[in-house]
Amino acid sequence: MTRNAVPEHVPQNLVRDFSIYTSPGMERTPNGCPHAAMGYVHNFPPIFYSPSNAFDGGGTWVVTRAEDQRRILGDPATFSSRRGHFEKSMGEEFVIVPLESDPPAHTFYRTLLNPLLSPKRVEAMEAGARERAVRLIEAFKAKGSCEVMNDFAYPFAVGVFLQFLGIDESRRPEFLGWADELLHGTNEQRQAAMKIVAGFIRDLVEQRKGEPTDDFISFLLKASVEGRALTDPEMVGMGVLMFVGGLDTVAMAIGFDLYHLAREQKDQARLRADHDIIRPAVEELFRAYATITPLRRVTQDTVFDGVPMKKGDVVSCPTMIANRDPSEFPEPDRIDFDRENNRHTTFAYGPHRCIGSHLARRELIIGLEEFLNRIPTFRLKPGEAPITYGGYVFGVENLVLDWT
Amino acid sequence: MKIKVDFKKCQGNARCWSLAPDVYKLDDSGYILDGDIEVLPGQEAVARRGARACPERALTVEGED
Repeated sequence: MTRNAVPEHVPQNLVRDFSIYTSPGMERTPNGCPHAAMGYVHNFPPIFYSPSNAFDGGGTWVVTRAEDQRRILGDPATFSSRRGHFEKSMGEEFVIVPLESDPPAHTFYRTLLNPLLSPKRVEAMEAGARERAVRLIEAFKAKGSCEVMNDFAYPFAVGVFLQFLGIDESRRPEFLGWADELLHGTNEQRQAAMKIVAGFIRDLVEQRKGEPTDDFISFLLKASVEGRALTDPEMVGMGVLMFVGGLDTVAMAIGFDLYHLAREQKDQARLRADHDIIRPAVEELFRAYATITPLRRVTQDTVFDGVPMKKGDVVSCPTMIANRDPSEFPEPDRIDFDRENNRHTTFAYGPHRCIGSHLARRELIIGLEEFLNRIPTFRLKPGEAPITYGGYVFGVENLVLDWT
Repeated sequence: MKIKVDFKKCQGNARCWSLAPDVYKLDDSGYILDGDIEVLPGQEAVARRGARACPERALTVEGED
């Protein structure tokens, strides 16, 4: 583990070795459960400093309690979402909005985009998404086995993204290839794939300027924020954000949920017997298998519950840690479809609440419903080990199920 | 039964609506409509569940805190 110097203002008694990439259970692990593996951090101080946790290898504060994460994510004036990470790491001119913006500008972007991803709008996308899920499942059903990530989770999530963007289904294989490199490639491959996706969206913007339709980009071209038109880099940033945010996370959630149901036959049987449980079950699975870590940058020297933070410090709020905070969720590692008070932060919290959350929730419900409807009782294929990993997006690399 | 709505706290999570669509009404952006909600008899249980699901604590069942 690369260990950086601890900044002078950080008290030594708050320093702990922790990395969302390399701590126990975070590297590629056969039959792993990275969410449960993180539980030990609740024995650390509620907010500690890790010298080696950030994307760039730098240090971050790590906030472990659900309530503290909510206070931080709900206070954008002190904890800014503007990290500049993408521009820095990619040398790109586009801006990942609304994620990398703060109120009041953030509010304008959200007001513009929210109706496109509202619960009502998502209902209108339901039929297309369901049809896609059914087609994918029917294609492997007779085989008696599938590899969930490539046979179902990615093509489903990419298909729904293309539907949202109004791009023809025939482009799906291309997008899947980019997605694969973006998610599983080396750093160079990731950056190259990101540039390709950005380039694709940039071309789409140019195309739609000439021939507007009723798709997402055409909507952006007509839109105004603060009384002006959106800039090209803003439109590209929004498109890239939708792709990155809506693809990886949804695919991984499908992977973790089916992994859970393959291991826990009782839970699988219960969902099969009573489809009404699927909705609350999806919510509990969201809690148990959260995949992302919101990051914030401190805007001014501040003392948070006695912890001295300096302007520029990075604060990480791993949702998977908050969601297994024993002070908020009794027996946090127990997955309980009847859990009450399920105040999970899987979609973050505060003004930056995941803009795609309604669509993601719907995709998971459709995915589980159709999978359970069409595939008989399934289990992990003997001799195969699903590989899981941690990082800023937790993931399942391969998940081979069997129902022969 | 009455649900108090703290409109300023709503961040559009829509988890109230997801659990109790007949009780909670949303605007076109997915945020709850302003104004307290009178819960019809028979809907108390789902209404309570929806209120409790709000991560932002924007909903309070009258008489409970």
